[in-house]
Amino acid sequence: MEDLAREIQRLRAELEKKKEEIQDLRKLVNKEIDRDFPPDLDAFSEKELDTFIRELISSSKDFTETKPDLKPIKSHRKTIGKPVVLLKRILLETTFDNLELFLDKQMQFNRQSIDLGRALFLRLRVEKERMEKVEERIIACEENLVILKSKLEDLRAGLEEIKGRTGGHF
Amino acid sequence: MQAASNCLSRAEVILNLRKPSLAIYDHAFHFIGGAQKYGLTLISTLQDQFDVTILANREVRYKDFQDWYNLDLSKCGIKVIKLPYYEKTGAAHLDPAFITRQVENPFHLISRESGEYDIFVNNSMNEMVYPLSNVSVLICHFPERRPKSYFYADRYTNVVYNSRYTAEWIEKKWKLTPHHHIYPPVDMESGEAEYPKKKQILSVARFEPEGTKRQMEMIEAFLRLFLEWPEIVRGWRFILAGGSNPNNRYLTRLEEMVIKNPAQNIELKINLPVSELKSLYRDSTLFWHLCGVKHEDPGEVEHFGMTTVEAMQNGLVPLVYDGGGLREIVDHGENGFRVRSSAELLEFTARLLGDPEIIRQMGRAARKKSQLFTRARFEARVKDLFEKILKSYTLVEQARPSSQK
Repeated sequence: MEDLAREIQRLRAELEKKKEEIQDLRKLVNKEIDRDFPPDLDAFSEKELDTFIRELISSSKDFTETKPDLKPIKSHRKTIGKPVVLLKRILLETTFDNLELFLDKQMQFNRQSIDLGRALFLRLRVEKERMEKVEERIIACEENLVILKSKLEDLRAGLEEIKGRTGGHF
Repeated sequence: MQAASNCLSRAEVILNLRKPSLAIYDHAFHFIGGAQKYGLTLISTLQDQFDVTILANREVRYKDFQDWYNLDLSKCGIKVIKLPYYEKTGAAHLDPAFITRQVENPFHLISRESGEYDIFVNNSMNEMVYPLSNVSVLICHFPERRPKSYFYADRYTNVVYNSRYTAEWIEKKWKLTPHHHIYPPVDMESGEAEYPKKKQILSVARFEPEGTKRQMEMIEAFLRLFLEWPEIVRGWRFILAGGSNPNNRYLTRLEEMVIKNPAQNIELKINLPVSELKSLYRDSTLFWHLCGVKHEDPGEVEHFGMTTVEAMQNGLVPLVYDGGGLREIVDHGENGFRVRSSAELLEFTARLLGDPEIIRQMGRAARKKSQLFTRARFEARVKDLFEKILKSYTLVEQARPSSQK
């Protein structure tokens, strides 16, 4: 048993050393551990939807500008490099004008979509505030009804008492 | 690699070469809280059977656990693992909500540590810790976040929940069926209630800056009581006790409201020591708790309702919101009332104030019901669960991870 215990300890120490060398948790467990989860919007609460919309609008601003990053035109070829660069430049400059028109329109659409999203969200907030005020008034009405009901019951009890004392004659 | 290490660990326990090891992690052990009390009471029950280590991200002391929860955890080890991501910000509260897939998971340091133990218990309200141990237990106090970025709740071999309300939301939000139900431990009895008690309505709840515990609404209701039923309410006080951090604007608003209405006998008591809180429970007659009213999210409703049980243990009649875990504690009309609005709170309170005999009967019924949630019951359930876990661990068949729906 002692030999077994020693052997287990030795193996564990070896494994610990090897584990320390592995930084990535996925390699340690030998499988992918992370997954993507699409948002289940239908199941979201009011508060979750608010947060979701706000985060989406905020992160969408990063995608307004979609123009590509034009790297400097170059060729790795030694002999025919210069003619290749010239051809690339002619091709790019003739097509890019059209592409730029398209991208400008796309960017305009992106900005308008984000503005629309923000406007709808703001409107939603205004409606929500209005609804909260209405709810407060309903709560106040409910309280008044409870109080009225209680006072009516007191009044009824009082009347019954008087009726009892006067034998039904007022 | 981890699987091989786990095999060896298990062999050691099966061959009786050492005690089984257990680690419990909570990123908020340095704060006082109900969830932390749950986890620490759990390990205090197990510290003789297991070699227990408390994993924290900030310095914690045995003395704090003794003072806050009356727990002697000196047989447990403490290991502090600082997370560089949060150390950089210096934030007191390590909030996992801001971690996205754009950054490396800072909790992987804890995941790696979990592989050093036979059983890893995650008490953390944080499903971003991947359990590497042979046996893992996720204690879910409530599923606050939906699966997003780093989600590993379904990788745990056991999921423990604190109420049927929490279980319902684990199913809805995580599409996962949790395994074991253990109500939280509540031990706030201050001796046999003596009737008649003082003319005192009590509320005990944290003064959350967002106002989710609805102290404002309760103060407004009490003022309305004074206005509409002056004869019945004469001589009654309303005391609101609870914890708060400094610079709490919501608390400031409450204080201003109390100052504006001095004749109405409303008092705020902040960050009371346990002994004073027990005195309040002992002396008070009714307990109000409106957390959940006007909620916009299921997380804003009480997942269980420990303070309500504390009140019931002292014979107070509870008038609480009709939702969440409170439905499992208060039986409407028998040992208290469950209300959906401040209007109903007024109605039932006025009814009670006019009938001391009903208060006495319901108070006794409340005390009887509260015995279902004692520390002794909690400890028995914990012992039973971990005995089964250990028995299964020392058999040859490997525990399987819980499966997603």
